[in-house]
Amino acid sequence: MQLTKTRKKREKVDVVANAIVIFFAVLNLFPLYWLFTSSLKNSSDVIKMPPDWWPATITFSNYVEVFQSQPALRWTFNSLFVAGVSTVLVVAVSAMAAYAFSKLRFTGKNVLFIIFISSMMVPKEVMIVPLFRISQDLGLVNNLFGMIWPNVATAFGVFLLKGFFDSAPDALREASRIDGAGEVRTFLQIMLPIVKPGIGALFILNFVQVWNDYLWQLVIGQDKEMKTLMVGIATLMQDLNPNFAYKMAGATVAAIPMLLIFLLFQKYFTRGISIGAVKE
Amino acid sequence: MVKKRVPALMLASVMALSVLAACGSKDSASGGSTGTGANGKENVEISLWLTPQWKGVFDASEPNADYDSFFKKAAEKFAQQYDKYNAKVKVQVVAGDQRDELLNVNLNGGTPPDIFFESVFAMGDYAHRGALVPLNDIVDDAAKKDIPANYWDSVTFGDNIYFYPFAHNPGTLAYNADMFRAAGLDSLIGGENEIKTWTMSEYEQILEALKTKLPKDKYPNAKPMALYGLNNQGDTWNLAYLRMFGNKFFDDKGNIVLDDANGVKAAEWLQKIYKNGYTNPGAESVSSNDANAMFQNQKLAISFTNAVLFNNAKADMNSGKAPKFDLRLANVPSASGDPLSFTYVVGSNVFNSGNEKKMEVAKDFVKFYSTDPELVKASKNSVPVRSSVASELKDQYPLFAAYDANSKYLFNLTGNVPGYSQLRQLLYPELQAIYIGEKTPAQAVKDYQSKGNGVIQKAKESSTVYKK
Repeated sequence: MQLTKTRKKREKVDVVANAIVIFFAVLNLFPLYWLFTSSLKNSSDVIKMPPDWWPATITFSNYVEVFQSQPALRWTFNSLFVAGVSTVLVVAVSAMAAYAFSKLRFTGKNVLFIIFISSMMVPKEVMIVPLFRISQDLGLVNNLFGMIWPNVATAFGVFLLKGFFDSAPDALREASRIDGAGEVRTFLQIMLPIVKPGIGALFILNFVQVWNDYLWQLVIGQDKEMKTLMVGIATLMQDLNPNFAYKMAGATVAAIPMLLIFLLFQKYFTRGISIGAVKE
Repeated sequence: MVKKRVPALMLASVMALSVLAACGSKDSASGGSTGTGANGKENVEISLWLTPQWKGVFDASEPNADYDSFFKKAAEKFAQQYDKYNAKVKVQVVAGDQRDELLNVNLNGGTPPDIFFESVFAMGDYAHRGALVPLNDIVDDAAKKDIPANYWDSVTFGDNIYFYPFAHNPGTLAYNADMFRAAGLDSLIGGENEIKTWTMSEYEQILEALKTKLPKDKYPNAKPMALYGLNNQGDTWNLAYLRMFGNKFFDDKGNIVLDDANGVKAAEWLQKIYKNGYTNPGAESVSSNDANAMFQNQKLAISFTNAVLFNNAKADMNSGKAPKFDLRLANVPSASGDPLSFTYVVGSNVFNSGNEKKMEVAKDFVKFYSTDPELVKASKNSVPVRSSVASELKDQYPLFAAYDANSKYLFNLTGNVPGYSQLRQLLYPELQAIYIGEKTPAQAVKDYQSKGNGVIQKAKESSTVYKK
């Protein structure tokens, strides 16, 4: 009897808790919903009062205008290329560095790691001018690789993955070495699969960070064709255009790829973060 | 097997993308000397940046009209007749709020644009910083005669001319005469080609009538007046509002003197109209572009404008981008009864890139499009600085005469003080603080003056113009 009462009470609490969570989830999603539906309206309908919660007439003309009046497809490609290549390189470099810091023994390892991690405290904005000068000397201004290279060696990636490698038992590596596997094979075939959730998390976090790396992409991609989606859309927002729906369409175009990435990789993201948080 | 395929597929995708991607622009960022052409002349490539001004070569109704159309056409015409080099001009449009970030990084990197076409007030600092080269050698007597002295004064820093004036943009208010009529304000509507002057009491009467008498069915959720303070853009009208009660803003030595009874009264007036619902809500998070878009969509009855914004708004109406209404001009009112009138000269400067050939070509190009009898007519999109052009086009553009009549009320918006770009960064946070109630108007004015004078003092100390 007592047990049933407790269960019923817990269920009630669950219902209330779920209702609160759903309320906040809807609240969070509402701006996205409003952005998307507004992009399908005529400009005057966007600011109509009382508002249309769903477009009275759906029009795709704003999207057509975004893609016709601006090289938005090229910007999308540029963003995907820069974020994709940067992330693959970051994952590769960070995994190797994290493995070395975690499992290999060499003189000054801890000092080097601290120095490396300290670089996380220097904001990128401080380094913009020197990075720009180096990029110029390398002929990488107005070049997508110019947007990629400063992102490759990221202390955050090493820091994140080192935690995952630390939690992998040393005995596995030792057994692999006893069985005759070299360091590279041990890293690729034994250790790397163990830290897959961490790699998934790093992949998403880094992809998002590079996707939104506004200032650096602004100064490197100066030609209209070399802009990334975020920079291009920001420029579009500055356009002296009274059509609010057109700007909403631009913002939607910028938001959709990121949403897809989250939806496709959210499993890795949540698992990666939760596993990294608990160390046994 | 499947496990191996995933990384292999990712690597292959990256490689394929790398091959597919035209990763680099064919042109360098800043251009430069690139060998010799078939005609034996040396190739010189220069870059020209501009912020959005007018669309089209001469008119926004041209097919494929864009902000860079005029300069692309000018570059083509220039290259055809230029005999010193094979000149190529790369034109790039830069958003107003990206200008300083881009310029500062490129200046520090040693690759500034060769030419920047922009409002002088927004770029005067670069003359003080020694980043621009004087243009005295390309200004001849004919130009000095055709362009009135007050425009030359506004582009002269110390002894040198740093901007070649092309047009000017008088700042005024714009109002929707249809909404005025709907609110019963017929008697306060000016003529179609008039810049109407209202007294402060008339203006407050207008705001009240627009708030209370505007038919809600025809203009749902419309507000009387635009107010904004999101960022440093459009600050010029806010600077005008702060002078409404007689404060002169700068003293003769170039220091801010806003913190007096009249300055505080103006700030209090802004707070009052905001709090009492005479303006759009959320002024602290509304940009000047947002405000104008709301006005164009008839959600505001009065907004701010300049000649180029006014012409763009009319073009938007004619092309069906925005609803049509009776758009007219008025002055920013003042307590004295005289209109508060200001203008900013738009023109070209040449950056000191350290490359003599590029600077030579840049100067020649600036002189070319600033003097070519056909190209200078594009200044009609604002207001021509050349008397010859204004007089030739006055019948087609009757507002030129109205702008001219206003010229006796002009005040110097920026005081030509060094550090103006930084001053722009200081004003809007103080306005935001007033609107959200974080500071009293008196405190905000006091803080702005104190911080602003600090900025001016520092900028004076490092100004190459002041050092001379």
